[in-house]
Amino acid sequence: MKRLFAACLLCGLIANSAAEEAMTLRSTELKAKPYGDAQTLLMLPERSKVEVLQRRASWTQVQSGKTTGWVKMLSLQLVRGTTQRRADNGLRSLFNVAQTGRGGSTVTTGVRGLSEEDLKNTRPNPQALADAKTYAASRAEAERFAAQGKLQAQHVDYLPGGAQ
Amino acid sequence: MRTLSLMLVLSLALPAQAFDFGNLDLDKVVKTVQKVKKANEDVSEPQEIELGSGIASNLLGAAPLLDNAEVQRYVNRVGRWIALQTERPDLPWQFGVLDDADINAFAAPGGYVFITKGLLARMNNEAELAGVLAHEISHVLRKHHLQALKQGARTELFAEFANEAMQANGSDPRLSKLVSAGTELYARGLDKDDEFESDRMGVVLAARAGYDPYGLPAVLQTLQSINPNDSNLALMFKTHPAFDKRLALLAEEMSPALDAYERQPDLDKRFAAAMGAK
Repeated sequence: MKRLFAACLLCGLIANSAAEEAMTLRSTELKAKPYGDAQTLLMLPERSKVEVLQRRASWTQVQSGKTTGWVKMLSLQLVRGTTQRRADNGLRSLFNVAQTGRGGSTVTTGVRGLSEEDLKNTRPNPQALADAKTYAASRAEAERFAAQGKLQAQHVDYLPGGAQ
Repeated sequence: MRTLSLMLVLSLALPAQAFDFGNLDLDKVVKTVQKVKKANEDVSEPQEIELGSGIASNLLGAAPLLDNAEVQRYVNRVGRWIALQTERPDLPWQFGVLDDADINAFAAPGGYVFITKGLLARMNNEAELAGVLAHEISHVLRKHHLQALKQGARTELFAEFANEAMQANGSDPRLSKLVSAGTELYARGLDKDDEFESDRMGVVLAARAGYDPYGLPAVLQTLQSINPNDSNLALMFKTHPAFDKRLALLAEEMSPALDAYERQPDLDKRFAAAMGAK
C-alpha cells in the first residue's frame, strides 16, 4: 500500500511537471497583457493547441509556439488529462486524491463517493446537523472575515434572464 | 366551464353540504381546487427551513461532515459573507463540507449549502469556492427545490404542507415524505434552466461579495478537464447540464457586464492556508 501511494505521488509529480494543454474554442486574439485593449500579438485560429501557464481572472496566460501571451479564459477548453498544474491545495493530498499522468485518466484512490443509492437509502442524521450548526458564521464574523481579505461589497445587478 | 364554476361557487357557499352530481364528487373537487390554489402560494419561511433541515439531515446521513473545524469555519465565513449580499441575508445560512470523494455541491431550502471535499480539493482559490457557494445560494434564493417539489409528483402533499403546519421532528409522515422527495431531487437533478439561472446569479453574487467573478467558470473548466469516466463525477453528470453548455452561456453573459469586476481578488493564499497547505 505504501509503495502504491509512493507510485501515485510520483505519477502526480510527473503530471505536475508536464504542461497543461488547452485548445481554442474559437479564433482568439493572443494579447501581450491580460487586458482587452492590450496589444494583439497574433490571431490564434479555432482549435489551436496552446500550453497553459496561469490564469488571472478572465484571462489565461498561454504559450503558442514561441509566443507567450494572454487569451480570454472562456475561449479555451482544457485538454483532458493534462490538468493538475496548479498546486496541490493541501486537501488534495489529505484526501489521497492522486492523478495519473498524461494517459488522461484521473483516478481517485480510496473509496468511491456518494452515489444515487446512498441518497435513496439514507437515514436522517440530526446529530451531524447539530454539529454543522456549531460552525455557522454570524453576520459580524462574516463582515470581519471579508475586511481581513480586503473584500469590498459591490452593487452589481443580476444578469439579464436571471432574477429581477 | 361556466357551469362548473357556478357549481363550485355554490358548493363553496354551502361548505357543510356534500354535493354529489352523479359520479362527480363536488366536495372533493372543491377541496382539490382549494389545495391547488394554496399550492400556488409560497410555503412560509419557517416551513421552508423545517423542510430544508430535514433534507440536510438526510444528506448528512448519506455523507458525513468532514472532521476539520478550521475548514468548516472557513467555508461558513465565505458562504455567509456572500449570503449577506443577497435578497435573503437573514436566513439561518448554514454551510458544510462533506467528507466524501464525490465531486458535487448541494443546497436545501431555507439556507443549507454543502460541498464535498472531492470538489473542494480541486479548487485553487477562495474566488472559486465563492463561485460554487454562490451558485448553491442562488438555488435557495430562487427556491428551486421547492418549485421542483411543487411541480413534481408531490404536488398534493406540498399543498397540504403549505396549508397547515406539520409537526416537526419527522413525526408527521407527510413531512417525512416531502423530505424524502426533496432528498431524491439530489439524485434526479433540478431543471436545467434552474442550473443555468444559478450560474448566472452565482457569478454576480461573487462579484457583489468583492471576488473575481470568474471563479465559478474556472471550476467548471477544471471539472470539464477531468476524465468523464471518473466515478466521482457520475452524479454531477447525471444531475447537471453539460459543462461546455454552462461555460458557453457564461462566456456570453459575463462579458462585458462583469468586466469591471475582474480585477477583484481571488485570495489564493488565504485559501491555501485554510486548506492546510504548507
